[in-house]
Parts: sequence; C-alpha cells; structure tokens
Amino acid sequence: MKRSAAEIIREYGPFAGVEAVHGVTYDGSHVWFASGDKLNAIDPDSGKVARSLDVAAHAGTAFDGRHLFQIAEDRIQKIDAASGKVLASIPAPGGGGDSGLAWAEGSLWVGQYRERKIHQVDPDTGKVLRTIESKRFVTGVTWVDGELWHGTWEGEDSDIRRIDPDTGKVLELLDLPAGTMVSGLESDGGDRFFCGGGANGNVRAVRRPRRGA
Amino acid sequence: MESLITAAARALEAGDPLGALNRVALRNDAPSLALRGIAMAQLGDLAKAKTLLRSAARAFGPREAVARARCVVAEAEIALVSRDLGWPTKTLAAARTTLEKHGDVANATHAGHIEARRLLLVGRLDEAERILAELGTSPLPPAPQVVRELVVAGIAIRRLRTKDARVALGRAAHAASLAGIPGLTAEVESTNRVLDTPAARLITHGNERPLLLEQVEELAASDALVVDTFHHSVRRRGTIVSLGTRPVLFALARVLAQAWPADVSREALMAGAFQARHVDESHRARLRVEIGRLRAKLKPVADVTATKQGFALTPRKTRQVMVLARPVEEKHAAVLAFLSDGEPWSSSALALALGTSARTVQRALDELARSNKVQSFGHGRARRWMTPPVPGFPTGLLLPGPLLKT
Repeated sequence: MKRSAAEIIREYGPFAGVEAVHGVTYDGSHVWFASGDKLNAIDPDSGKVARSLDVAAHAGTAFDGRHLFQIAEDRIQKIDAASGKVLASIPAPGGGGDSGLAWAEGSLWVGQYRERKIHQVDPDTGKVLRTIESKRFVTGVTWVDGELWHGTWEGEDSDIRRIDPDTGKVLELLDLPAGTMVSGLESDGGDRFFCGGGANGNVRAVRRPRRGA
Repeated sequence: MESLITAAARALEAGDPLGALNRVALRNDAPSLALRGIAMAQLGDLAKAKTLLRSAARAFGPREAVARARCVVAEAEIALVSRDLGWPTKTLAAARTTLEKHGDVANATHAGHIEARRLLLVGRLDEAERILAELGTSPLPPAPQVVRELVVAGIAIRRLRTKDARVALGRAAHAASLAGIPGLTAEVESTNRVLDTPAARLITHGNERPLLLEQVEELAASDALVVDTFHHSVRRRGTIVSLGTRPVLFALARVLAQAWPADVSREALMAGAFQARHVDESHRARLRVEIGRLRAKLKPVADVTATKQGFALTPRKTRQVMVLARPVEEKHAAVLAFLSDGEPWSSSALALALGTSARTVQRALDELARSNKVQSFGHGRARRWMTPPVPGFPTGLLLPGPLLKT
C-alpha cells in the first residue's frame, strides 16, 4: 500500500447560505455540491456558484452524463440537471444511513457510512448487486480509470483511499490534515479530485497521484 | 454525512423536533440516539432525553471524542434545566476541553456557559466569573450572546450592582431579538422583572415600604445604620458587624432597630429574642448578659443604652436606623425564593443552593406542600418541586445545534 499526504490544490467557498457540504459531483464543466436543500453548480475556474437547484440534498451526489443523482432522506432521486425536476426515485440501500454516491459502468455506487460498506446498485430498480466492505466510515465514493476511491472519516481523521473493488483491500491512501473532513468525493477524470469539506462548508480540489510516478 | 441524519438534524435546527423524530425514531445508531435525545428534550421529556443522550455517548466509538463530548454537554444542559445541580462537573469540564482542542468553539463556549449558570445558581459567583473570563470576550452569535449576558446580569444582581445588570440585560434583549428564539426573549424578560419587583422591605420608625434592588443598592451606600436580615448583620457603609452565628444577638438588634428612636421594654426584648412565654428571673439575668454582648459587638456602629423601661439603640455618626427585611417574611422564605424562578428543583439541588442539609430542605418542602405553597411531581430521586402555578416547561433549554454535523 502506498501512503502519502493529500496535496490540496485549491479551496472553494465558503458559500453564502451553505452550512455544510454533503455530496459532490462533476458534470464535465461544473462541480455540483449538495447543501441540504439545494444542489449548487460551481465553475471550477472562477470558484463562483453558477446556478442552484432547489432539491432535497442530504448526502451523496452523482452524474451519469445526462442526469444528476442525489440522496435525499432514504431515497436516491434522479434529477433533470436542466430543470431540477425529480424524474424518478429508488430506495437507498442503507435505508437512510447512506453517504457517498458515484456513477460508473451503468451502476450507482453508494457508501453506507457507519456500516463501512459500498453497495453497487441497479440505477433503475435500486437492487443491490454486490457489496464491498471497507475498514472505515465511508463518506464520498468515486470511480476513475477503473480505480475505486472513497473518502473516510473516523474519529478526527479523514483520508482518501483506493481500494480493490473485489476484496476491499486498501491499495493507496492520501491522508488529509487533522480535522479536515472529506464529505463527498468526485474525480474530474483527470488528475483532480473534488472533495466536500463537511461542516466547514468548503469544497476542495486534491491532486490525484499519477500512475507509475 | 449520513442522509437521514442530515435530514433529521436540519429539521431539529428548524425547530421541528417531531420532523426529526419521524426520520430517526426506529434507529438505534449513535447519531440517531443523540438526535432523538435532543428532540425529546425540546419536547419536554427530560428523563427520556437524558437516557437517550447517555446511550448515544456510549454508542459513539472511542475515536469519536467530539461527538461524545457534545452528548455530555447536552446531558449537562438537561441536568441544569432540571435543577439536578449535583451533576458531575468534572465530566463537563473534560468535554469542554475536548471540544476546545478540536476547534469546536461554539459547543465549548456552550459548555462553559452551562457551568457558569450552575455556579451562579449555587451562589459561587467568583467561580462563575472566572469561567466567563476564560471564555473570553470575543463576539458570539446572538443565542450564546444572550446566555453570556444573562450570566453577567445574574452575577451583577447578586452582587447588588444593578446598573451593570441593566446594561447586560439591555445587550441580552438586543441579542435575543436578533436570535429570534422566543424562549430566550422570555428568559431576558423574566430576569428584567426581577429588577422591577420589590426585593426587600425597609422598616424604619415603625413604618415599612417595599424596596427595589436599585434602592437596596443605594441604601448600602447611604449613611444609615442598617440591620440587614438577609445577611444577619448590622452595618453602616463599609463597617459591618456580622451576627450570623449569634441569632439571639441579631434578634435583639432587630427589635431595637425597629423601635428606634423609641426604646424597648425588657419584656418585649425577652419575648422577641428568647421566644419566652413566661418571663422569669433567669430570663432577666440572661437579657443583661446578652445586651452586654450585643453592646460589645455593636461598638463600632452603635451604642445600646439603658432606659427606664428597658433599652434603646443609639447609632453613631448617623441619625438614621433602618431594618432591611425580606419582602415576605415567613418560615422557609429562602426555599420559596429559589423555587420562585419557576423551574423544577430537586430537594438535593435546593440543599446545595441553600447550603443546608437535604433533610432540612425536605422538612421545609413537606411543610410548604401541606399549605399548598409548593407542588411536586415525579417519585424518588426524580422528584421535583415547583411553586404553583406551573409555568411552561423549560425555557432555558438551548441544546447545541451543530451537535451532529460531523
């Protein structure tokens, strides 16, 4: 296992009226974050909030190329990114104990916080296809280049870790400074992760380690 | 964080405890237990709230120190509101340190305020002031600002500095209107009423009139010789003769002061000080001895002179003698004074606050209950006492909002 300190490239926020960030995703041009009763899109270059949708947004956020997926209470809602309309809804696998959300390979991946689990879920029916065990409380979840990464928070420590999707074994670990929380995680497909800062209401960009470097 | 916990915490913060309960009622993980506890506290079921918060503190893992500390603070606040003043303060102090260390300034301040309020209730003013000083004077959000000013005002009232108290209450009222929490506004108003309600009676030349706290303060600075039934002392300005340990001497001083400038007959003095029904020679002898003792004690402020009928008080360096008495003098007035804050008290908390034994307080409460001056509810150790009519349940409860953010 490789272990290193996370390199924080940039901090976004705090944002007016945002008390906490519960989930993060990226649609190719904007970073979306869930702040309780809103989904907000920020321009990663200017750091400004470009637009907001009024939807319940209590935990993880994901984007499948066309729709936003957002955990609200004990359900996962499929949302039209243009209008903010809720198009469909499936039960969340953790029954409300759900935290992170990611979309990859036609499935939704849902972190179940205190159960320290990540579920692969059918986005149409909500059926759990398989479950991966982690060692820590799971916050954000993301897939990039066939790698499964997730954020953790336990006690006062947070890190971003890559795990083997078959065994749950930790392959690589990026430590965040003490007291810095990761409450949502998304890769931009390149060398950046976007992380929710939890109760501090910020979004951070963290560098993803290069392969073979 | 967790979806349903976030939703429930948001409902609680928006003042919707039932909405919060709806979301976590059937869950028994640590954050749900804590949320249920706070919701039950806001709904007035303090016993249930306490149990839930205690289980939550146990259910949080050993590495979740901040979450556990927040549960301890919430439980301490419930203890304060239910006047359970014997609550282990070391636990609260440790929780406060943990929160400070982890940068949770809001809840650390909240913990400090709870401790200061407890000290204020039991009359340990210096310690309450020390805690306020430790917390610093940096600006606070409106709600905790109200609490700080209420503690400052409470200390000033008990120290007879009414101007300071009014200034602090003015700041508290302003902060309460910014906070927009009705319970806080009500608490500021009820503290204000204390300043506008007679705090004492002044007896002079055989007449009496009610005194506001401000007038009591003026009296302390005046030239008059004051026989003070609150402190069992005789004083003129800075010269204080304490008779707290000599009840007979104090009773004599009081009878003499109430009659001043007239004298008091030996019979009246003996009846007033010895509570003797039939006066005999031994009482006369005793009176001579006690008057001699009183004369020696009062020397710095007054003389006790013999007259044809009995004795008279002759104050030094002043032409005014006054008796400062409680607004209503009846047996157990001190117990009633504490109960009149409208909160439910346990008999052990009253004993702590009054500095007497639980047995004495229990006897007083039983007697007061027989004449319907106090009411109790609950049984055994959970039994609480209040003065009727029962006002709405706790106004003081301000459980920390961000308890479950992380």
